[in-house]
Amino acid sequence: MKLKTSALALTALLGTTAIAAAECADPIKVGVLHSLSGTMAISETTLKDTMELLIENQNAAGGLLDCEIEAVVVDPASDWPLFAEKARELLTVSEVDVIFGSWTSVSRKSALPVLEELNGLMFYPVQYEGEESSKNVFYTGAAPNQQAIPATDYFLEELGVEKFALLGTDYVYPRTTNNILEAYLQNNGIAAEDIFVNYTPFGHSDWATIVADVVALGADGKQVGVISTINGDANIGFYKELAAAGISADDIPVVAFSVGEEELSGLDTSDLVGHLAAWNYFQSAESELNDEWVAAWKAKMGEERVTNDPMEAHFIGFNMWVNAVTEAGTTDVDAVREAMYGQEFPNLTGGTAVMLPNHHLAKPVLIGEITADGQFDIISQTAEVPGDAWTDYLPESAILVSDWQELGCGMYNTETETCVQLTSNY
Amino acid sequence: MLRRYILALVLLFAQPIGANAQTLQDILQTHQEEVLKPGRRTVGVVLDDLVASGLPQAVPFLEAWRDREIVQRESDGLFFAVAEDGDTVALRDLDTNEVQTTAPDTALTEARPNGGVRRAIGDALVQFQLSDPDIEKRQAAVNAIARSMDASQLAPLQASIEAESDAALLAQKERLVGMLNASFADSTQDRIAAIEALSGDLSVDVRAVMNTILATSAHVALTVPDGANVAQILDVGTDLTPAEAYDRLVAAELAPPLVPKSAIREALIANISDGSVGGVAVAELNTDAARETAYDALAAAGSVEPRVTTQAQADAVAAHIFYLSYDEPDPSITDVTRTALTAIETKVGLSQTVDLGLDALSLASIYFLAAIGLAITFGVMGVINMAHGEFIMMGAYTGFVVQQFVPDYTLSIIIALPLAFAITFGAGVAMERLVIRHLYHRPLETLLATFGISIALQQLAKNIFGTQARPLTSPEWLDGALVFNDVIAISYIRIAIFVLALIFLALILYVLKRTRLGLEVRAVTQNPGMAASMGINPDRINMLTFGLGSGIAGIAGVAIGLYAKVTSEMGADYIVQSFMTVVVGGVGNVWGTLAGASLIGFLQKGIEWLNPSNTLAAQTYMILFIILFIQFRPKGIVALKGRAAAD
Amino acid sequence: MMQRSFLAQNPSVLWFISILAVFTVIVTLLSEVTGVDMISTSFVKTLGKTLCLCLVAIAMDVVWGYCGILSLGHFAFFGIGGYAIGMWLMYARTEGIVLESLAGQPIPATPAEISDAIGNQIFGVVGSSDFPMIWAFADNLFLQLLMVVLVPGTLALVFGWLAFRSRVTGVYLSILTQAMTLALALYLFQNDSGLRGNNGLSGLQNIPGYEGVSQATLSIVFFIASAVALGAGYVFFAWIVSGKMGSVVKGIRDNEARVRFLGYHVESYKLFIFTTTAVVAGIAGALYYPQAGIINPGEIAPIASIYLAVWVAIGGRGRLYGAVIGAAFVSLLSSWFTGGGAPNINLGFYVIQWTDWWLVLLGFSFVVVTLFFPKGIGGLFDMLVRKQS
Repeated sequence: MKLKTSALALTALLGTTAIAAAECADPIKVGVLHSLSGTMAISETTLKDTMELLIENQNAAGGLLDCEIEAVVVDPASDWPLFAEKARELLTVSEVDVIFGSWTSVSRKSALPVLEELNGLMFYPVQYEGEESSKNVFYTGAAPNQQAIPATDYFLEELGVEKFALLGTDYVYPRTTNNILEAYLQNNGIAAEDIFVNYTPFGHSDWATIVADVVALGADGKQVGVISTINGDANIGFYKELAAAGISADDIPVVAFSVGEEELSGLDTSDLVGHLAAWNYFQSAESELNDEWVAAWKAKMGEERVTNDPMEAHFIGFNMWVNAVTEAGTTDVDAVREAMYGQEFPNLTGGTAVMLPNHHLAKPVLIGEITADGQFDIISQTAEVPGDAWTDYLPESAILVSDWQELGCGMYNTETETCVQLTSNY
Repeated sequence: MLRRYILALVLLFAQPIGANAQTLQDILQTHQEEVLKPGRRTVGVVLDDLVASGLPQAVPFLEAWRDREIVQRESDGLFFAVAEDGDTVALRDLDTNEVQTTAPDTALTEARPNGGVRRAIGDALVQFQLSDPDIEKRQAAVNAIARSMDASQLAPLQASIEAESDAALLAQKERLVGMLNASFADSTQDRIAAIEALSGDLSVDVRAVMNTILATSAHVALTVPDGANVAQILDVGTDLTPAEAYDRLVAAELAPPLVPKSAIREALIANISDGSVGGVAVAELNTDAARETAYDALAAAGSVEPRVTTQAQADAVAAHIFYLSYDEPDPSITDVTRTALTAIETKVGLSQTVDLGLDALSLASIYFLAAIGLAITFGVMGVINMAHGEFIMMGAYTGFVVQQFVPDYTLSIIIALPLAFAITFGAGVAMERLVIRHLYHRPLETLLATFGISIALQQLAKNIFGTQARPLTSPEWLDGALVFNDVIAISYIRIAIFVLALIFLALILYVLKRTRLGLEVRAVTQNPGMAASMGINPDRINMLTFGLGSGIAGIAGVAIGLYAKVTSEMGADYIVQSFMTVVVGGVGNVWGTLAGASLIGFLQKGIEWLNPSNTLAAQTYMILFIILFIQFRPKGIVALKGRAAAD
Repeated sequence: MMQRSFLAQNPSVLWFISILAVFTVIVTLLSEVTGVDMISTSFVKTLGKTLCLCLVAIAMDVVWGYCGILSLGHFAFFGIGGYAIGMWLMYARTEGIVLESLAGQPIPATPAEISDAIGNQIFGVVGSSDFPMIWAFADNLFLQLLMVVLVPGTLALVFGWLAFRSRVTGVYLSILTQAMTLALALYLFQNDSGLRGNNGLSGLQNIPGYEGVSQATLSIVFFIASAVALGAGYVFFAWIVSGKMGSVVKGIRDNEARVRFLGYHVESYKLFIFTTTAVVAGIAGALYYPQAGIINPGEIAPIASIYLAVWVAIGGRGRLYGAVIGAAFVSLLSSWFTGGGAPNINLGFYVIQWTDWWLVLLGFSFVVVTLFFPKGIGGLFDMLVRKQS
């Protein structure tokens, strides 16, 4: 099975065996719901290109169910209500079979009611705060236990950090992640007063005072570490200020959850060497599959372009969907959903990703140190960690589980043994 | 851990090296996994063995390992140092230190010690490096000690002081010895003397040493035991809430735990029989009071643990004393440390205020730079230029483009500043001639037209440069920070922006007050009709003023790009802030803009200081303050008087 | 009888109402509900939302085009209306879910448990579970509907009273209103604001109590409601600006000092107009967001209010139908261009993709309109009417 899928992946990647798709009255349509304009275009345009590359390759490899796959690209323009409107348009007017899309949590939550109402299917490729499991969404990005918790463990175990500064941009992902981390750290014997939390607006640029506050945390003789959920271009000012204050990764290490290859390409990284990031994928991962993927990407987009984690999520998600459709013999949402459970596909970083009944993936967690050329040096790679929709570290969530295969419920209360709700909490 | 290394060091000199036939490679082979994928907690074994072996080649190996120059040949598992990197790697034998062989890149696995392991290696290397002839290695050793202070380092560090030739390093070493003495010296007198010697030092690590000495732990007891070095007796109600106090009693097993609501609920569910629990019907259990009654009935029947009454809780809390005691048993040391630390903290507090003041000054100068161009066009001409932010952006992108062609950062900035001025001056003049000139009688409509230009320019920038933030790198001499003491520091780039703001303040004042152009500008500001009849051409003046204001925005763009980022949306980030600066300061007056920028900068930092964990709240409150401020001083801080003040 | 004479004086009102009615009927007939299905549900929603935007544009036209106050904060009132109705929608929907899931329990839940569970569902995303003070009335539809009117009204009253009392006018007032909407947006962005921060309130298209009703039907209901609101708003404002009050208001726009010297209490008139339009904006928002499905702080960022001014300017200030035309024209055109509806233009050396170039076109068209057509599209109608008469 494994051999077969990876062989399939290879042909999909290389697209060498171009078999003309047989006559097909009704092409299979894949909706791409990523912002191509507005603030999120920076990140999301790359994912649209990824989807186009994946679909091109799949068509070159013979399409799907003897049909050509057709990409239906729409632009929700970083405007959250538009995600709902465009999702409805995709499902009812364009009648797509599946949607790949969304980046921010709020855009996903905007599209959710529509997906659930019309029984659509969406693959969501970005690391997120968890606390959700919709019947109509497969989460191919990392849940907190696949990124934040292992990174914090690394701080505790490997770097001996005793005092934490949780710096984040003021929106839901950092807020929830930091709540989970606070609970987790306190479970691990870190006192509440040794956790400093700060939130800044999107695009914040005045970091001097905050960096000074972080340095001052060291005054009681404890090793300080920064866990950063700072989003987007605010990172540029933050790292510049760190460098100006002469703080090296040896003094105060910073681990970031939203800084990847793409974000670093806007920065001079020579001052950041040694700071960390945690993801499920780095471009520097050593595997044949990854080398081919990176080569295919650069061939399509240009030599200077980099690959990153959400792209791998779409890579896995799309291929799993293709295999599930092939297995089910139809693109019908319910049949495909059933076929998705237990679906396996090789990670670009080695090992195999498995789709779990809670609609999350089991993926390895990687921690990388930033290098001078804007890439990451992978210094730690765990075995596959199963994604957990409901975190175990917050009391309200610890009692909830998601299992769409056996329990048929995404929000099942294990204490009262009832399904709290079938729709998701948007 | 280090003590063992010291012991090993002694052994190393005690026994002849030849007596140990083990090679370095042998040791590494026994610990293959730990060498290749070391963890902070597992690396100790390897380090112990290496140090214990006393092999001289262990030291260069450790250095190479730390610097990620150790590889393993996959075919036979042997370790080598990398002599020359490339597709084929030249390998150096670890024992003989000779370049022995080469291997293709793909046949080797790199050992990647993480940050924690590198620190552990650094610690192990300390003893070998403290007196190393290479000053960089000595510095590394001193840094390693400073990062993780340990009693065992005191002796070797003291021993190395005598031979230290470098003055700066010597001072560092002596300071470290002082800190180590304060914590670890044998006699109380020595420690007290060391602590007192440190009392003027504001640095974070000295405070760390003192805070460690003063570390306390919370206790609870019926009476304070003899010999406890009590830091504080806690007063229930002020220092901790009764609920917290009771929780501490429970944790110390001095009181029975409370029965939480969830436990009551579960106990009730478990004891349902015939539709009722403890004499209460199930349907009535929808209030806490009813549930407690039912639970008490169950408790009376002995089927569950009784609840702890509020009275019993209060009694238990009242019967005990809650106190903090120092971990350090000797009161004379804690007293001296506390005095020293209080003195330091007063100074630190003072310095922090000064530091905050500097940050505020820097923020004010950024706002000033961003707003001054707007103040000129808005104040002097009454024209609202919504595209002002986009001129800032244009300036920043000019800087970025120049850096693409001129790789030398210093030179590129020198070119970029006037070029940005020229380009935005031109853009400003073009906009004035083509659009604004036609709208002088309709000030509110200039707002619309310039807003249109603003969104068009923003989108154009996106189409040309992409949405990704672009780097604008400052020259090396602007890296780093000016350090006054251990608390007060400000980065050079911010100083540069401050200086730039001062230069522009002076320049604009000079132009407005001392030149013919300035005279004409002031005349047109006060009364365009009268000025025109005096032979001044208002058209020309308006055009030049607008160009000047836009040009300054371009230069501000380069400065802001240097310290933050260059994106197509950076102008929009500053436009509202700039408007407020101008409006608060008072329209039509350079000093007003300065006052407005200072007020907003200091205010924002002040609010941030009050609520350091939420920068967003600070911005919200600041805007609210500005709204209120304008209600009471509608014309701003520096209001024009007389006719010019009329709309 | 005053009503008749008012309508007789303003034939354009009758015209507008008739056209709106015909349009509403046609859309309803062609929608999915009647089975014709020529207009998709998502387009019905778009049309319904556009009608709400037209309503707020009329309000903007009254405050700017008639009274001369260039408010750059009226979208804040629109947003507040949306938040007010959103709170009830979220609360009631979540309450239903929670009560259903608690119903199967061995012992009945206490009020505190129910409230905790609802709070947890709503505020779980921002890591909290307590109901903030501002949700006090969220369980009551009537009170919350009152909030739709009261909160924007009170805010406008207080803000306007402060500003007009201190004689803040012209561009200062514009900047001040912009500061107000920015402060509100920043406040709402905070997760501690109690309104779910950046996520805002979502799932608003699901109307509690009508779970079984399809979105096709709901969208038509809201579309008709929006049309009715727009019609009523149009008549109301047309009546206000046509009488003696209208003359005073227009006088204030043209020369505030002269009106004051004539003995009118200018501040009261301005305050009345400012507050009334804010209330109407709130009502428009309360109708808009159940159709959009989600409201968040980004909706009331300063840029939204500027767009509002732009619609009015393009449509033509000082004529109510101008505002309607501007809002409908620009917002529909925007979604057509950004939605990929417009064909790309291949220039050979460069392909103009409208998703990238639409904003550039829009931006420069503002400039052209302000420079050459200060009366906007509505001005063209005026010219036609004048030629005929």
